[in-house]
Amino acid sequence: MGLPLVAVSAPAARPSRPRVGVVKFASCDGCQLSLLDLEEELLAVAQRFEIVEFPEASSIRSHGPYDVLLVEGAISTDDQAAEIVELRRQTRKLVTIGACASSGGIQALRNWTDHEATRAAVYPNPDWVASLATATPVAEHVTVDAELRGCPIDGGQLRELLAAMAIGRRPQIREESVCLECKRRGATCVAVAGGIACLGPVTQAGCGAICPAYGRGCYGCFGPREQANANGLADALVAAGRKGADVGRLFAGFTGWAEPFRSVVDRLGGTPGTPASQTTPGATPASAAHREDSR
Amino acid sequence: MVTPVAGRAATRRPVPAPAAADGAPPAAFLARTDLGRLLEALQADGRTVIGPSIADGAIAYEEIRTIDDLPIGWRDAQAPGRYSLSEAGDERVFDYTVGPTSWKRFTFPPRIPLSRAQRDGRRVAYTSVEPETKPLAFLGVRACELAALGVQDRVLQDGPAVDRDYEARRASALVIAVECAVAGATCFCTSMGTGPRVRAGSGFDLALSEVGDGFLVRVGSPAGSDLLERMPTRRATADEVMAAKAQVRAVAERIGDPVPTIGLRDRLVDRWDSPHWARIAERCLSCANCTLVCPTCFCTSVQQVSDLDGLVSTSERTWDSCFTVGFGKVAGGNFRSRPQDRYRQWLTHKFATWIDQFGSFGCVGCGRCITWCPVGIDVRAELAAIAPAAPEVAGTHAPEPVAASPDAYVTARIGSIHQETADVSTLRLVDVDPAFVAGRPGQFAMVARPAFPPAPVSISRYRPDGIDLTIRAAGPSTASLVGLGPGDELGLRGPLGVPWPLERAVGRDVIVVTGGIGLAPLRPLIHGLLADRLRFGRIRIFYGARTPADLLYGDELAAWAARADLEVGITVDRAGPDWTGRVGIVTQLFDEATWDGASAIAFVCGPERMMSATAETLGERGLTSDRIFLTFERHMECGIGLCGHCQMGRLFVCRDGPVFSLAEVRDVLGREGI
Repeated sequence: MGLPLVAVSAPAARPSRPRVGVVKFASCDGCQLSLLDLEEELLAVAQRFEIVEFPEASSIRSHGPYDVLLVEGAISTDDQAAEIVELRRQTRKLVTIGACASSGGIQALRNWTDHEATRAAVYPNPDWVASLATATPVAEHVTVDAELRGCPIDGGQLRELLAAMAIGRRPQIREESVCLECKRRGATCVAVAGGIACLGPVTQAGCGAICPAYGRGCYGCFGPREQANANGLADALVAAGRKGADVGRLFAGFTGWAEPFRSVVDRLGGTPGTPASQTTPGATPASAAHREDSR
Repeated sequence: MVTPVAGRAATRRPVPAPAAADGAPPAAFLARTDLGRLLEALQADGRTVIGPSIADGAIAYEEIRTIDDLPIGWRDAQAPGRYSLSEAGDERVFDYTVGPTSWKRFTFPPRIPLSRAQRDGRRVAYTSVEPETKPLAFLGVRACELAALGVQDRVLQDGPAVDRDYEARRASALVIAVECAVAGATCFCTSMGTGPRVRAGSGFDLALSEVGDGFLVRVGSPAGSDLLERMPTRRATADEVMAAKAQVRAVAERIGDPVPTIGLRDRLVDRWDSPHWARIAERCLSCANCTLVCPTCFCTSVQQVSDLDGLVSTSERTWDSCFTVGFGKVAGGNFRSRPQDRYRQWLTHKFATWIDQFGSFGCVGCGRCITWCPVGIDVRAELAAIAPAAPEVAGTHAPEPVAASPDAYVTARIGSIHQETADVSTLRLVDVDPAFVAGRPGQFAMVARPAFPPAPVSISRYRPDGIDLTIRAAGPSTASLVGLGPGDELGLRGPLGVPWPLERAVGRDVIVVTGGIGLAPLRPLIHGLLADRLRFGRIRIFYGARTPADLLYGDELAAWAARADLEVGITVDRAGPDWTGRVGIVTQLFDEATWDGASAIAFVCGPERMMSATAETLGERGLTSDRIFLTFERHMECGIGLCGHCQMGRLFVCRDGPVFSLAEVRDVLGREGI
């Protein structure tokens, strides 16, 4: 994960407005709603972009091509896997919005389970459900030009993306940890002062550090930052006395399928069906040997 | 000289404190119950008071409206990666150390607009945003934080370019300092030389020390003086002044000296390629918390916030950090692409390159980066691992002297006496206080006999069971000492003064230049070099004396000359019948030798004229003034910077020296009548 954000510009000379589509796959629609939540700027957006496909806002359906396609949701079925390829062919700039589209989302937790058993446990007639064994991010299927992270995405980042697209500049979405936002807003660190396990240090900023500001740990819904040292944080949490599986469970959340969170989950366990507080054999800190050297 | 001050401290009856020696007004005392008056006075002046207050489980700096907002009776406990509060339930207001907030939040806010831009057709217009400030008062600024404000002042407003927003905010804030009464487990202000004592002239308007039922108040500015005049204070008693001093001294002792800073810059910049950087990067999360809680970090980024058409935009400055991946990115790559690169950037900036840029460390030792690191990386330990201080034998820090004050001596017994020359003898002392044995090369002792004034004598040897003093009978006092015999006792104070920075010689070629009795203070330095011989490059000793009979330590000198790993050049002014060596002055001797001083360090002792000439020659060989060390002689009476006798320009030789770098004394060296 951690795709570079590239400028998504409409051709300057084109007289008509850029055609924008909003589509969804396996997801809850919350990220699409962030567009509607722009409220006072919605008219301005509509003046600059021709929104031709937006199921949450309009029943009018269209087909491509799209100058910009905002894609929500993970690829969870065969049909979706085929559809995203077709949509990609019709789209100049494809932008994934939200944790599901960017990292597989909460439904990607099934990737660690026995798909058939899960289907049988959930549905009375599992044969009626045509799902893939995995829920995967869009980028595992087609090239993605830009991504907006979060569960849901941040309205401010969406607005910045739209403004950057309209003007033809690079969206100013900073690569940094949630900690920077947390400290800028003056929140006390819940990890240090509260002893709370917090994924903020390894999670991409953008939410404004909402959770830590309200006294709970970050659960990583914006996914891993570029070069996130997830193993370093996981090792520290284990060293502080937490069970390996509990630490793994922390990473196995909305963006758990995204590397390097996925490797922590693979190493420490904590996936669905694993009881809490079960220490898995692989819970030895990866870098323990090196740290011994440095003493 | 013994002054009759003993006993005053023990007086129980309140005695008004005498005026300070520097002419500062005597301290005032503000009852704790009147602290609210201070707050009201500040508010009446239209100031918003920012001070310590409990928020989200930590003592943060927030607006203080009433005294009840202060963390009265609360304590903090800190450790690497851990912070907690507990309630002691007493009346103490300031018994905590620094929390997650630093004052830069108010002088250098996390996010400010810098300028606004507009585009109208083909025309563009830029308008700068005027700083929006309001009068503030900072209540509870600790010594390390005063230092941090000073560090940011040097970066943001004292250089050629001025940050106008910072300047305006800084000028709008009145500073009320509080001296620490407790030590935090992550504090190391003592090492960085910033605290815990709040020093006069360190930038406060008022300084409080919480003692007894209130606060000792010192004035630091006219604004502070005006404020104090409106307070219901009384004059502080001598006991209160003493209690405040003892309190802060105890804090300093608790903290100790966790980061030996002497030579730290050089040690760090020699370690760019240390494998340890990669080891730290395994733990470091690059989360930037250390830089955001740091009171001196000033890195920012500017972002453009625009409307959907790009016609109206605002440049916003926001706190950034050298730990973010993007901070070193350019089109096509990243100058600091690895986490270890970024950790190295931060640490070397704080403890080394900052000195080159701004003349001081970028670190003030507040310990926030340790406490607020989510994985508890302790900068003190990492510095020790990456750039360890020189070996113990070299010693970076002088021990606490015993009997430091001019009225108190310890005794020692002369074990034996060795006559070196006609008028010079070495006294071998035994039964010496252990503090002396722990002394460092270049330090001295004040040596006394009853009825004689004490004389400063450099320590010429450290032995496990005592010290040697080499004394020339230059006057009645020293003559009386030289005239003593084995078994005689004498009085000692010390060890005093700044030692030779032996640890700075690690990895370098070493030049020792001296003449006559000047070898005495250099002898322990040579012992230190030889004790750890492999850590140093080539060692050259150049020693001159008037005649062969004036050479000290004859046997030892011969032993040194016989060593293959030591080059010893000896010269005399006038040869005797048995002399087959060199004749001439010592500067000639080492001037003729072939060597390059580019990576060398020099230690020099002799008359000032000789040192002046030597320094000049060394400079021609490529030694920079921060690598030439000289030891000075002056009339020293107290030995601790209180009596004024040994003043040399802006320096006291006893307290600031006797060892100085040439850089420190260049303006006074060789100048008549200083």
